[in-house]
Amino acid sequence: MLVLTRKSDEKITIGDDIIVSVLEIKGSQVRLGIEAPKGIAVHRSEIYERIQEENLLAANVVAADFVKAERLWKPRKGHQDKAGGDSED
Amino acid sequence: MRIETTRFGKVEVPEEKVITMPHGLLGFPDKRRFCIFQQKQGSPFVWYQCLDDPGLAFVMTDPWLFKPDYQLDLELAIQAMGWDGDGDQVPLECYVIITIPRGAPERMTANLMGPVVLNPNTREAVQVVLSDEAYSLKYPLLKQKAASCRPPFSAKNRI
Repeated sequence: MLVLTRKSDEKITIGDDIIVSVLEIKGSQVRLGIEAPKGIAVHRSEIYERIQEENLLAANVVAADFVKAERLWKPRKGHQDKAGGDSED
Repeated sequence: MRIETTRFGKVEVPEEKVITMPHGLLGFPDKRRFCIFQQKQGSPFVWYQCLDDPGLAFVMTDPWLFKPDYQLDLELAIQAMGWDGDGDQVPLECYVIITIPRGAPERMTANLMGPVVLNPNTREAVQVVLSDEAYSLKYPLLKQKAASCRPPFSAKNRI
């Protein structure tokens, strides 16, 4: 891993078109600005990892559970109210 | 094209119904081709069957069926995919993935943080990451009944 020390308002360039700027350092928090071309996804790693894990869980649907889930949850189209709530006029 | 699936046997998928995910789904970067189908008419769920893996299928639904105030920035999807136009011009479709825990379908949840956005014109889709943390990763579709939260032992067994 390349390790660089940067101060506030300094930048790092990655490749030709990705720029990471250190905007502000406050205590243990650092605010970063990331400029990247369209099509390059930039995410907070922990959120990215949580969605990955959730996708892995969601991929293991058992047919019998799906049939039960379909019986349990019957939202009414056109009556888009709160989950489990009663319909309104 | 005719594809083999673990859950539904052989399925005929017309070429124009194939959905491509250039970035894959998070955790499944090499699974690129999918199709959406409804197993039973009137069901609130659709299946998102992977065409590159017979055993890989997700359950999805329309988030506005249970969360009418759900909002997502479609610009995220448009930018990630390089789609032309803005959210008003491209009639994008949005689904959320449902997790049905094994043996406990009453605890099913919807992932509101990582919706799947589909462009019907290009038949491309992308999983968007909503990073503002306004939405739950595990939004319960059914209200939990109090009875399901009973203590593990009855009071008479306690000292």
